[in-house]
Amino acid sequence: MPKVKIPKKSVVVDMTAMCDVSFLLLAFFILTAKFRPTESVMVDTPTSRATEQVKEDIITITVNKEGGAYLTLFSTRRVPTLNSLIERYGEKYPSLRTLTKDQINNFGNVETFGFNINQLPSLLSKSKDELIQIEKNMPGIPIDSVDSQIGDWVNAARSTGLEAGIEVPIAIKGDKSTNVVAVKDIIEALRKREIYRFNLITSLEGRVD
Amino acid sequence: MAQMDTSEGGGRHESKVKAKKMSTRVDLTPMVDLAFLLISFFMLTTTMSKPVAMQLAMPKPIEDPTKDKGEDVKESQVLTIILDKDDAVWYYEGIPSELTPESLNKTHYGSDGIRQVILDKQKKVLAHFREPDKTICLIKMTKDASYKNMVDILDEMDITKTKIFAIQDLSPVELSAVSAK
Repeated sequence: MPKVKIPKKSVVVDMTAMCDVSFLLLAFFILTAKFRPTESVMVDTPTSRATEQVKEDIITITVNKEGGAYLTLFSTRRVPTLNSLIERYGEKYPSLRTLTKDQINNFGNVETFGFNINQLPSLLSKSKDELIQIEKNMPGIPIDSVDSQIGDWVNAARSTGLEAGIEVPIAIKGDKSTNVVAVKDIIEALRKREIYRFNLITSLEGRVD
Repeated sequence: MAQMDTSEGGGRHESKVKAKKMSTRVDLTPMVDLAFLLISFFMLTTTMSKPVAMQLAMPKPIEDPTKDKGEDVKESQVLTIILDKDDAVWYYEGIPSELTPESLNKTHYGSDGIRQVILDKQKKVLAHFREPDKTICLIKMTKDASYKNMVDILDEMDITKTKIFAIQDLSPVELSAVSAK
């Protein structure tokens, strides 16, 4: 009887195709990954079931753990906001009147602002790199009811949008452990300026219940 | 040590040192390993947390309370929720002036805590008024509550579909009742 030969199959699998696929995936993930924008004020936002995406052009008031308030504006809205602030509150804050044109334009480099308005002239005479360094260590915008500068800022920022017929949303971004009083103070300050709608920035909730 | 063979010629039969035919196939297994390792690394380190916005509408401040009385609210419609330190939640039904520390109940955040309380209240109100969305939640916070508590309770309002709710300041009666507990 003739022997039925079992053909000896090679155990080596061609890895080329698998390699192609895996590198394709790798390239895809690297290219689609978006870097988190550098934040000078770190907050860990609470989670919620809200699903509405946050727009880019918003007025963000960040409240950190210590209760300090910081203002973040979209890049194209910074210089108009400062101009509007000077126009509206130049008499209230005389130091604003001393700002030169270069200093005003320099405000476009200020990613997040967390100082007293009266410190603006000395702040804006610094270079861009110095500003980035300073932003890491900011005391916060005064929010107490005696000197609520945050309301003036938001009013100024809002008016730049209203001139173009856009209602710029106002977002409050707080840390999980921020004392609720700080957030309430800001809301109250803005309510006095006839702002009643807020966006509370949260992160997506993972758990399902 | 290596020595160079400088001998020339020597006959054909000696040059058997044929260039070894190398296989052009490279084992790609380690490369695939590496690629998948990198993929898993990037996938695991990517934060998927995209910020989302929660809407909050606050009421207009009433300029003259004597003129603008607003709508009449039945006592049985109201559930007052007080957020306290260390993630404690107090709640009571009815009007604040009759509040005693005994009528103040404690619960916690989560599906079997404050959410159940709100849902029970909604059922009671629905049975009484025969109309949906009549429940009113008053949210009050002590000065020790955290911002997370506020977001959590607003989230509960969304989950339980409570249409009418308001964030208010604690009244002195409530404050003393909470601190007495």
